[in-house]
Amino acid sequence: MNTDISIGTGNPIDRVEGRLKVMGLAKYASEFNVKNLAYAQGINSTIAKGKITAIDTSEAEKQKGVIKILTYKNADALKHYEEELPALSTSSIQPVLQSADVHYYGEYVGLVIAETFEQAQYAASLVKYTYSEEKPDIDFDKSRDKAYKPTEKSDYSRGDVAQGMAEADVTLEQTYNTPIEHHHPMELHAIIASWNNGDVQAYASQQIIDDATITIADTFQIDKKNVRVIAPFVGGGFGSKLHAKQHVILGVMASKQIGRPVQMTVTRNQMFTNTNLRQRNEQKIQVGAKSDGSLTALSHDTLSHTSTYEQFQESCGTVTKMLYKTPNNKVTHRLMPMNLQTPFAMRAPGEATGSFALESAMDEMAWKLKMDPVDFRVKNDTQVDPSSDKPFSSRLLNECLKLGAKEFGWENRPQEPGTKDEGNWLVGYGVSGASRRAPYQKTSAKVILELKDAKVHATIQMDATDIGTGSYTIIAQTASEYLNIPVEQVDVELGDSDFPKTPGSGGSWGAASFSNGARAACENAIAALEEKSGLKAADAGIAKLMQAGNLNSFEAVGTAEPDEEFKKHSVFSFGANFTEVWVDKDTGVFRIKRMLNVASCGKILNPKTAFGQIIGGCAMGAGMAIAEQTNVEPNYGNFITRSFADYHVPVNLDMANIDVLFLPEEDKIANKMGIKGVGELGITSVAASIANAIFNATGKRMRDLPITPEKLIMAEREPGVA
Amino acid sequence: MRPFTYTQPKTIQEALKASAENTEAKYLGGGTNLVDLMKEEVERPSQIIEVADLDFDSISKNETGGYTLGAMLSNSETANHPDIRKNYPLLSMAMLSAATAQIRNMATNGGNLLQRTRCPYFFEVSMPCNKREPGSGCGALEGANSKHAIFGWSKSCVATHPSDMCVALAALEATVTLQKPDGTSRTIDFSDFHRLPGDQPEKDNTMLPGEIITAIDLPEPKFKSNYHYIKIRERSSYAFALISVAAAIKVSGGMITDVGLAMGGVAHKPWKLTDAEKFLIGKMPTTENFEQAATLALKGAQTLSENEYKIPMGKKAIVRALEQAMAKTA
Repeated sequence: MNTDISIGTGNPIDRVEGRLKVMGLAKYASEFNVKNLAYAQGINSTIAKGKITAIDTSEAEKQKGVIKILTYKNADALKHYEEELPALSTSSIQPVLQSADVHYYGEYVGLVIAETFEQAQYAASLVKYTYSEEKPDIDFDKSRDKAYKPTEKSDYSRGDVAQGMAEADVTLEQTYNTPIEHHHPMELHAIIASWNNGDVQAYASQQIIDDATITIADTFQIDKKNVRVIAPFVGGGFGSKLHAKQHVILGVMASKQIGRPVQMTVTRNQMFTNTNLRQRNEQKIQVGAKSDGSLTALSHDTLSHTSTYEQFQESCGTVTKMLYKTPNNKVTHRLMPMNLQTPFAMRAPGEATGSFALESAMDEMAWKLKMDPVDFRVKNDTQVDPSSDKPFSSRLLNECLKLGAKEFGWENRPQEPGTKDEGNWLVGYGVSGASRRAPYQKTSAKVILELKDAKVHATIQMDATDIGTGSYTIIAQTASEYLNIPVEQVDVELGDSDFPKTPGSGGSWGAASFSNGARAACENAIAALEEKSGLKAADAGIAKLMQAGNLNSFEAVGTAEPDEEFKKHSVFSFGANFTEVWVDKDTGVFRIKRMLNVASCGKILNPKTAFGQIIGGCAMGAGMAIAEQTNVEPNYGNFITRSFADYHVPVNLDMANIDVLFLPEEDKIANKMGIKGVGELGITSVAASIANAIFNATGKRMRDLPITPEKLIMAEREPGVA
Repeated sequence: MRPFTYTQPKTIQEALKASAENTEAKYLGGGTNLVDLMKEEVERPSQIIEVADLDFDSISKNETGGYTLGAMLSNSETANHPDIRKNYPLLSMAMLSAATAQIRNMATNGGNLLQRTRCPYFFEVSMPCNKREPGSGCGALEGANSKHAIFGWSKSCVATHPSDMCVALAALEATVTLQKPDGTSRTIDFSDFHRLPGDQPEKDNTMLPGEIITAIDLPEPKFKSNYHYIKIRERSSYAFALISVAAAIKVSGGMITDVGLAMGGVAHKPWKLTDAEKFLIGKMPTTENFEQAATLALKGAQTLSENEYKIPMGKKAIVRALEQAMAKTA
């Protein structure tokens, strides 16, 4: 599968599965050839709140190729939530088509199963629904009095913020807003499901294979052993594929009902309405500091929305608890039930949005204090996590800031906003600090060794996924390192629930978990072979060990999990982002000219794939700043952004030259291999860095994302800007 | 998508005949808008008559000393044609700011004139929209209207025309030639081609049933050197204009002797800035005069609940377009 002759981790080798991908041979969920396949198309509600009073399927049923139409009237009875307002997790059940109630615009209210995709889609448009419609709760401001404290504990406090504010020489109280966003991975959510006498097999585009089997099993109330989920390739997820959504359940239900395999692909439009979203957050920040820049207080109160039937909260305040040293700190989160889908984790949930508020506020404070924003952050560094009193396993935030400032040419930043120009452009520099928890979870792997022509070929199997991040490549490099064989002699097989269990891809835990799992399997194989052969692998090489033991093949499994040292520390990745923007003096248009991201993420297994992760994160962070937003129609509650033509993500011309520097580091407290997460660090605080640069260029403080031309042209300069 | 029949006429006569026989038929040029609308069930033709391969796909000199653009020529071929780049660089610039290279390669000139609004209420069939379904109401009037019109709207419709090409054609005072089902042709001024919504927003333009656009004619080239098209949008490519301005100036002896000015993203049709044009004739090309022209241009604007920003943005865009046009003088 790969042609690289290098050995071990740390080399910037090409993706081992890259060739399959560019040749179209890497199969995604909807591309498997399954015989006798039928196609399902979901039908979406056209009201945001109310009840279905009548359904007319007669016209649709007459159409050529239509096999069956499912609604709440003939759907399988599924497991219901046992509690009111359950917290949505990556393995939650997903009941669907269970009642006539409609909770949000675009909710699935039916399903057409037909011989072809086109037939299913056309017939779906002919099913007629009559509703008794109620006025939906879709107005953020009008929902405030319904805000409640989420069941899952997330409020936090230390010291006394009021006292800290009273002791401060300089204070700030500001509100920052981030809009609803959507994940929109390139690969549409999809499933090919086969129900066979209570056994389920599903090709499904999922980030966490094991959790998908749990969701399917629990929803249908069958044994998890009877469910197999396969996803060798996943075309991006950004969190939307952490959890098996309703289409997964609908696909399985459709197969069960018609006794044939069924493919269900979620359309791009349905990716807005049926695969969750990142919710709008209103974040209030209070900061107090002494005139020397030392923080005396920091508080972060987040108000957001969830659905009327499930809870999900993005912990925006997480970053405020631990990033800077302050004796007084308070964090709260409140949720309002609204007639919108339940939100769910989107890349760096909490950090991406929370850091926009915190790092904007830090910039505002630095300006008020007349301090350089880099110095202000450096001044408030802490090597102990103040929220847990645990030491950080490693924390190189100051190093990231200082190296970044030097490499970026921070000394050329205009001291006063709006004082540097190039023709019709105002030039500004911005900085932000970033942190992202670097979790590491229990992970198992199997290694199969085969001796051919005196060479050992290894196959690693695990239910891990590669969502475009490079899992295949770093696992192959890890096995190559611990077996001391070239990467080209390693095959990696992923994404099958029959393989050993991993935490899947999400939360930036993939690289550390998968690699250490593969390492454990390889170490176990070597230990067993050394015992059998009486030779040392380091001296003789693994091929000699197998030959000495007369073994043509050998298998071992291994499991890695966090140790006591990990638990005694607070483990985070850190980074700093530097941005130069050019803002048009008149028109509200701005351009990101260049960006530098300095990252401290432990050992970098593959600089090429890690670089891709960071620049992808920066691009997504730029999307937050420039244009990404899903707008709710104010009277009907549908989304008025409904395709890529109007949900704007950055184009190449919008993006800067992005440079990435990784600090050389191995964090052996984090895990044996010294790896920390990369995937979510890249997006964290990028939007703040851009907004801070816009302030430096114009004196306009942009506190509501995205920063569109219409907002920028209407914004006033901050009081006090010359 | 609904089932439909597909017809590929070899001549324009065959196309006109097929269209006359079926009132539910639609002509297909590049399909870059029509096919999207069919997927959304906004357009539901029972028959598609493909016209992109008919003969009207060249650029030639016309009797007025100007040029004729074939209606079936692609936007890319038109914008990149040496004669157009040389004689009507404003048109090239506007066309190349539109959509994406892939879309421009498919989109035809005639189709560009006929593209429909991107108003989200028009696109979502469960929403009220008088343009899509006369009598159902205008969702945008009291709804999400930040991208909508500030000129010439009615309570029936506040949608804007999305084209960039048409803004330049308005500034350059082109004409449109239409062929009728009986084979005869008529030519109308560009400003009379698109219409304001009034109480019939379902009609985007003044074409009669069965007519087809065969050509767009440009007058003798007047603005080869001082021109600019500014397009303000949410990202640098593949986004419709919040505001756009096409500006072309002719200066002689320090005075403006001729000017073409039109605005996009502000009305149901490309918005010719006639008062501003008149004001500028005989004036010096100074920023002060440009600012006065811009104020004059925005005088009659009426904003909706979410688009107040279009007034300052419109003024700035007019001034910038004129300044940039002047800056092109070598």
